[in-house]
Amino acid sequence: MEEMLEPNEMIIHLGPQHPMQPGPFRLNLKLKGETVMDAEVELGYIHKGIEKILENKTYLQGITIVDRICYLVALTNEECYVGCVEKLLDIEPPERAQYIRVILEELTRLQSHLLGTGEFGGFIGFVSMLMYTIKEREDLLSLIDMVTGARITHSFLRFGGVRDDLPPGFKEKTLPVLNNLKKVINDFEEMFHSDRVYKERTVGVGVLTADVAKSLGVSGPALRATGVPFDIRKNEPYLVYNDLDFKVCTETAGDCFARVQVRLNEMRESIYIIEQCLDQIPNGPIFPENSLYGRRTPVMRVPAGEVFHRVEDPRGEMGMYMVSDGSDKPYRVKVRGPVYPTLQALPPLIKGTTVADIAAISGSMDGCTSEADR
Amino acid sequence: MDVTEILKSLTGTFPEAISEATAKSEIRARAYVDKEKVKEVCQYLKDSLQFDHLCSVCGVDYIKWNELEVVYHIASYNHPVVLTLKARLPRDNPEIESVVPVYWNANWYERETYELYGIKFKNHPNLKPLLLPEDMLGEWPLRKDYEGFPNKTARNLV
Amino acid sequence: MGEVKEKKTSKLDETSEEIPGVITTTTSAIHNLLKKTKAQDLINWGRKNSMWFMTQPMGCCGVEMIAAGCAHYDTDRFGIIPRNSPRHADVMIISGYVTKKYLPALKRLWEQMPAPKWVICMGDCSISGGPFYESYSTVQNIDEIFPVDVFIPGCPPRPEALLQGFVELQGKIKAKKDRGTEY
Repeated sequence: MEEMLEPNEMIIHLGPQHPMQPGPFRLNLKLKGETVMDAEVELGYIHKGIEKILENKTYLQGITIVDRICYLVALTNEECYVGCVEKLLDIEPPERAQYIRVILEELTRLQSHLLGTGEFGGFIGFVSMLMYTIKEREDLLSLIDMVTGARITHSFLRFGGVRDDLPPGFKEKTLPVLNNLKKVINDFEEMFHSDRVYKERTVGVGVLTADVAKSLGVSGPALRATGVPFDIRKNEPYLVYNDLDFKVCTETAGDCFARVQVRLNEMRESIYIIEQCLDQIPNGPIFPENSLYGRRTPVMRVPAGEVFHRVEDPRGEMGMYMVSDGSDKPYRVKVRGPVYPTLQALPPLIKGTTVADIAAISGSMDGCTSEADR
Repeated sequence: MDVTEILKSLTGTFPEAISEATAKSEIRARAYVDKEKVKEVCQYLKDSLQFDHLCSVCGVDYIKWNELEVVYHIASYNHPVVLTLKARLPRDNPEIESVVPVYWNANWYERETYELYGIKFKNHPNLKPLLLPEDMLGEWPLRKDYEGFPNKTARNLV
Repeated sequence: MGEVKEKKTSKLDETSEEIPGVITTTTSAIHNLLKKTKAQDLINWGRKNSMWFMTQPMGCCGVEMIAAGCAHYDTDRFGIIPRNSPRHADVMIISGYVTKKYLPALKRLWEQMPAPKWVICMGDCSISGGPFYESYSTVQNIDEIFPVDVFIPGCPPRPEALLQGFVELQGKIKAKKDRGTEY
C-alpha cells in the first residue's frame, strides 16, 4: 500500500465506523476508478485482551468472560470453553444436560443466522430485511431468555452440566415459534429467489472456489457454500449430535447468494434438530451424580495438561487451546475463532471487484469483529 | 487416516526433527519439532498427510523453564485428527521460520504472536502489529512477566 | 487577489460598525440571548423529540442497540432514529469497551457530529470497564473524555433500558440540565 500511486488511483479508508461493518475494523482500499486494486484489513479496534484476562480468572469466572468473545453466539463460546475444562477433568455431563445444551446452541445458531441474513440485507440496501429478521429473532431470544435469564450473554453452562433445568412449558412455547419460523424462512427464500435486484447484487459476486477457500482457511457457511461438507458436528461429534439426524447443507456456487442460501438451509436443519431434541430429551439430573462439580464450584483445581477442543460455531469452526498447570486458573487459553480467517480472506476476495460489491461480500461472510479482535 | 499411522509416517520421515510424538486420543496427537525444520515438516504434513487446514498458531510462555513455545494446531478438512505441533524457543531472542509459504492463513496468527509474545518469524511477508496500537509494540503483553496488567485486582480473590 | 479581498472585508467591518442606530450581532450572541428566554423551551422541545443516534456497534451492547433501533422495540416512535453517519447524528452511544487504539477514532467521530450533541454511556464497559476493567488495552474513565449525560448500567442492558436512558436524556434536555449544551 505504501508504494507510489499511479494517476487516477487513490486510497480510501473504510472504517473504523462504517454502516457495512459489524464492528469497528478498518479496510484500506487502493482504488483505480471503481475497481479495487489492493486491500488491507486493520484490526484491533476492540481488542480487549481476553486471553490475558482468562489467565487471571478462576475457571468459573472465565465463563463470564468467554461469553463476551462473540456476543451473538455466547453459548457456543461457552460450550467450547466448558468442553475444554471437561476434557481436562475427564467428566461428561449427563444426557439431559447435553440435550439442553444442544437445544440452546441450536437456538443460538438460529438467532445468529437470522441476524446475519438481516444484516447482509441491510448492507446491500434492503434495510427492511433487517427489520423482518430482528422481529423473528426477538421470539427466539425470549425463548433463550426464559431458560437462561439473559438475552445475549448467558453464563449458563457449567462444568459437567448446565446451571438450570428447562422451565415448565418450554416445549409448548417453543414449538409454535419454530413453526412460525419455518414459514418465515420459506418467505425469505421466496423473496430472495424472486427479487431481480437482489440476485444481481449477489449471484456471481465474491466467488470462492473450494480449493481457494481451503487454502484461505475459511470454515463455516462460507466454506460449505463452495461444496465442502465440513462441519465439526459431523466430523468430530460432541454432545449428543451423534444420535441426532441432520444433514450438512452445502451449495456449489460459492458466491454471496449461495452463502445466504446455506444459512437459510442450516436454519431449517437447526429447527429439525431442536424438534428431535424436544421429543427425545430424557428426564434425569443435570449434573453427574456423586460429582464434586455442581452449580457452584468456586474453588476447583484442574489437573495439569493441555487440550484442544473444537465446536461448530454458527460462523464456522471454533476451537480453544487450554493449558492447565494444576492450579485454579488456566495457564493459557488460546481462542481460535472462525471470523479471524474469514476476515483475513476478505482482501483476496474483494481484489478486482468494484466498490459497490465490498458491502455485499463482507456482509455475506457474516463477520463479528469482536471475536476476531478478542 | 489413523493417529498412529500419521505419527509413524512423521517420525519416519523426520527422525531428528520430531521428538516426543504421542497420541493423546484417537483424534489428537502431539509432537515437538525442531525450530529449524518447522517449514519442511509443515510442507510434508500438507502434501503427504492431508493436513491442509491450519487451525491456529499461538505462543505459550513457560517462564519457569525460561522458554517460549510456538504451538501450531494443524487439522484437516478430510479427517478429524488435529496435530499439535510445538517448537521450543529461548526466551531471550526467540526466532522461528515462518510457515506462511505453506499455510496462507498463518499470516495473521504469526503477526499476532509476534506482537503479543515478541516471537520473530523469519521471512514473514509483513511482520507488523495487528491488534495492538503501534506504540505498545515491545511490551509483549501476554508474557507472564508483563507488568502493565494489574495483578492485584482479580488474582487473589479466591 | 487576496489583498484586495482583505481590504474589502475590513472596509465592510468599519462601515458596519459606523452605522448609527444599528446593532450588529453574531450567531452565538443570538444563541446566548435565546437561552435566557422562553424560546429556548420551544427549541429544546424540538431537540428532545428528534434525537437521532449514531449506529456504531462496539460490543455486546451494540447488538442490543441495533435491536432497539429495529422493528420490535422501535425507537422511531420516540423520534429516536438510527443514523449511519456521525454528521446526521445528535446522540453518540458509546456501546462497549473503548480501547487505546479506538479512542482517537471515537474522538474524531465526536468532533464530526454537529452541535448540539449528547453522549450516552451504554453498558458497564463504557462506565467503568466492566468485565474488562483490568485489560491492558482498554481505556477507563470515559466521562472525563466525553461530556456524558446518561449512564445505562447492565452487561449488556436490555433494549428497554436503552429506551429508558433516552427518556431520561429527554427529561434532562427539557429541564435544561444536559451537558451537551451550555446554558
